[in-house]
Amino acid sequence: MKLVMYNNFQLGLLQDGGVVNLSESLADVNAPTPQDLVNAVIADFEGTFRARIQEIAAKGQAIPMDQVHLRSPLPRPGKIVAMAANYLENGALSEPRPINGFLKSPETVIGEGETVILPPHEAAVFHHEAELGIVIGKEAVDVSAADAMEHIFGYVNFNDVSARGLHPNSFLWMKSHDTFGPLGPYLVTADEVDNAQNLQVRLWVNGTLRQDYNTSDMGWKIPETIEWVSSIVKLEPGDVIASGTNHQGLGPIQDGDVMEMEIDGLGRITVNVKDDLHREWHRGLDSDMADFVAGRTTEPPAWMRR
Amino acid sequence: MKLVFFNDYRLGVLKKEEDRVVDMTLALEEIPRVGPGDYMCRLIERWDGFKVRLERNAIDLPGIPLSEVQLRAPIPKPGKILCMAANYLENGYLKEPRPINGFLKNASGVIGDGDTIHLPAAEVTIFHHEAELGLVIGKRARNISEEETYNHVFGYVNFIDVSARGLGPPGADTFLPGKSYHTFAPMGPYLVTADEVPDPQDVQVQLWVNEELHQDYSTSDMGHSIPKTIAWLSSIVTLNPGDVVALGTNHQGLGSLQDGDKVERESPGLGRLTNYVSDPRKREWPRGIDQEMADRVAGRI
Repeated sequence: MKLVMYNNFQLGLLQDGGVVNLSESLADVNAPTPQDLVNAVIADFEGTFRARIQEIAAKGQAIPMDQVHLRSPLPRPGKIVAMAANYLENGALSEPRPINGFLKSPETVIGEGETVILPPHEAAVFHHEAELGIVIGKEAVDVSAADAMEHIFGYVNFNDVSARGLHPNSFLWMKSHDTFGPLGPYLVTADEVDNAQNLQVRLWVNGTLRQDYNTSDMGWKIPETIEWVSSIVKLEPGDVIASGTNHQGLGPIQDGDVMEMEIDGLGRITVNVKDDLHREWHRGLDSDMADFVAGRTTEPPAWMRR
Repeated sequence: MKLVFFNDYRLGVLKKEEDRVVDMTLALEEIPRVGPGDYMCRLIERWDGFKVRLERNAIDLPGIPLSEVQLRAPIPKPGKILCMAANYLENGYLKEPRPINGFLKNASGVIGDGDTIHLPAAEVTIFHHEAELGLVIGKRARNISEEETYNHVFGYVNFIDVSARGLGPPGADTFLPGKSYHTFAPMGPYLVTADEVPDPQDVQVQLWVNEELHQDYSTSDMGHSIPKTIAWLSSIVTLNPGDVVALGTNHQGLGSLQDGDKVERESPGLGRLTNYVSDPRKREWPRGIDQEMADRVAGRI
């Protein structure tokens, strides 16, 4: 199933090239906010909601896509845990780096057609980071790698937009600016993804392909990642784990840019970039960062040395 | 006003004498409730519509003795917890504040009065308590100026930023494993509205371990003032009603936490929060104050 939010955050199901409304039929669910509704659906999906949604969909009339305004399918997740430097950089690294991650503000989330707003803070550069987003289905505390996949509800495109070179260079400064978390266009249930560890992730800026990598290059694989994260925090239905990016292909984003991101089977999310200061960077890839993260040079990018 | 959760997360207000709690469940019936997690946040959001009713009930109704209820964390799952890093002058040792910095702390990790901090099995160098003044946001704040700050504050709460040292890759930002373990965010015993805290920039923050005073400092030693802190945070993320900002700690007086410890945290007017420590591995560290840490942060070594 592919779940969407649309218009004034109605929950919908993608079907027949359109959207079937679910919110109206699920009005009995105690859910003061749209995120509460999707969390409730996720938390009791196999027990209740898969069947209810199938029933609604069988009778429902799909609204054509061109008549709906898509929103992020998870407008405000309980938490977003993002993995840091979690790729082998197209195999350049022989083993994963020491495992690390960070919390990203849930207020960062934006959806299809929305705009990443670059803050006036004096960053050296702003980067896109296309990532596979893992959506948690069941509460997870101290879950073993062997049991990890059972705790996944589904997958979603996620872009971990980043500001570089702010001092001190902490993850809060770097990652948590409002609008820095494009997520969507829809949330795809895990049963529709054959092998999450073999998905092509692509990101374009103004039509030019920048990132193009496979999740098979992930350093700490999805089960180990969930094991580690759940050894620290309690994961809850609707929480998101951003599984990290491959840095080969990162490049600056700037005012007026259009970013498109697509993972096999997860659809394409398009967002705009706006910078009231109209700062300019070179257009294209940042090979200094790519080379440093891949270990081809020990010379860090200039902004890291500030 | 002093707001609490008690027993099965019933929302209550302490009577003026602070010995009885009045159950406000009926008075708050129209507030949507999914679970206790964000219920206090929804009340804070609607505060202007409920304040007078709660004040009146707290006077008119008899309430039940505080000694007969089990208190819970007043905000069991805030929308966010933002913490300030190294935000004190260490009793004036530092001439100026360090560059402003902070991190997000796991909002699912909150515990309340009487609850237990569970030390994880991870190979740490030590676990520390960090007594902090917690500030609770009342009104949405995005890109606010320092002058506007206090219009966005709902109240204050005792907070402990429990910390695990020595985890994660050296040189990297390791605040996730360092700060976000489950149960590492004790908060309470109650949430006190801002009108009861005359000067948040001069609040004494105290913490005892096994009845030995460890931390004892004033928020007047804060590096980046409360207005500066809130203005800075709001230039990054939108702050929402019920979000908690932990204003940082003075490292003079930090000490280890280990199995069996009793931790008490008190500030004038904010009550006393008591927590216990459990470590299935029964690891041991030196007891008392960690002088090396204090000297390092103050720049004496």
